[in-house]
Amino acid sequence: MLGEFEYLLITAAAGLGENAYGAAIREEIETTTGRRCSIGALYTTIDRLESKGFLVTWMGEATAQRGGRAKRMVRVTADGVRAAKDFYQAVTRISRNASWTSNRIGGRAL
Amino acid sequence: MSAGWRLVDLASRLLERNEREAVLGDLTETKEPPGPAVIGVLGLALRHQADPWKSWRPWLAGFGVALPSSYLLMGASLSVAWSYMRLLCPELLAQASLTKPSAVLVLLWHAFLLIGWSWSGGFLVGSISRRTLWASTLLCYSPCLRCLWLFRVESLSRFCLLLFLLPAIWGVHRGLRMSGMRLASALSVALSLTLLMIPTWSDGHWRWWSAPQWTWNWALSLPAWYLVFTAWRARTDSGASGREVTINQ
Repeated sequence: MLGEFEYLLITAAAGLGENAYGAAIREEIETTTGRRCSIGALYTTIDRLESKGFLVTWMGEATAQRGGRAKRMVRVTADGVRAAKDFYQAVTRISRNASWTSNRIGGRAL
Repeated sequence: MSAGWRLVDLASRLLERNEREAVLGDLTETKEPPGPAVIGVLGLALRHQADPWKSWRPWLAGFGVALPSSYLLMGASLSVAWSYMRLLCPELLAQASLTKPSAVLVLLWHAFLLIGWSWSGGFLVGSISRRTLWASTLLCYSPCLRCLWLFRVESLSRFCLLLFLLPAIWGVHRGLRMSGMRLASALSVALSLTLLMIPTWSDGHWRWWSAPQWTWNWALSLPAWYLVFTAWRARTDSGASGREVTINQ
């Protein structure tokens, strides 16, 4: 099963679609979770997910905004989508009876 | 370019070319301040270096093969150098009760063993720890430097301790290019080494402070037998004919 950060990264990349690359994924994770995402954690996780076959990466175009440097583009594979789905379903199932889920208040179902 | 960004640029040289390009581009795009950028890049480089150590292979290559073998192979190098010296000096030849032809045979025997042990050890290190080769190299060279420093034998050059390095480097070079050996090749290397070791089996007795020579010889032969094991496993796993695999890097 995926780790928490791996799930965040795959989900951010899937949401960004064609525009998924290092800086964009990092910004998406930081704004959504409110947590800092280090460049080291980002790229080592991308490498790991790529070696597991959950992502594919390639070098994209260079832009002036990036000082003429190329982007490392990211696309989620079918295996990646399946792994993210499994993680999401596991989290949803295990959270079913938790007090903080939307259909329960103070530990009781509505 | 500011001094801070020069540092970032310098740190990024630790990264692989494409990754360096992407990381520096990301940092420029997000206008990251130089301080956190340096820390981020160094953190990434450190993670890359640390990543292979999660596997047992670099540990085996560094601490199981490179470090102990370098001590033992320096002993074997010394033995070859000593056999050569004996050949040149008639008094030493007489002391050892050897004729010249038999001394030549002993020299060849020791040299073949040294080449076989060094090559197979080097091959194993190269094939199982490509990304941590720098660490295995350090672990091999540090005992060498220590022994070079301490070596005091007037009749022999201290560099005779390093005779094993050339075949070992050759083995590493082959190991880096191939993921494993053909079963027949691995078996012939291991069997040849074992057969050449037979004359030493009766040498010495067990004492708690010093094991007989043949035990060290066996230790040096373990990489060759490990290569046989991996070749056999690769063959049974793939069901293929055991062709040598060349890695495209």
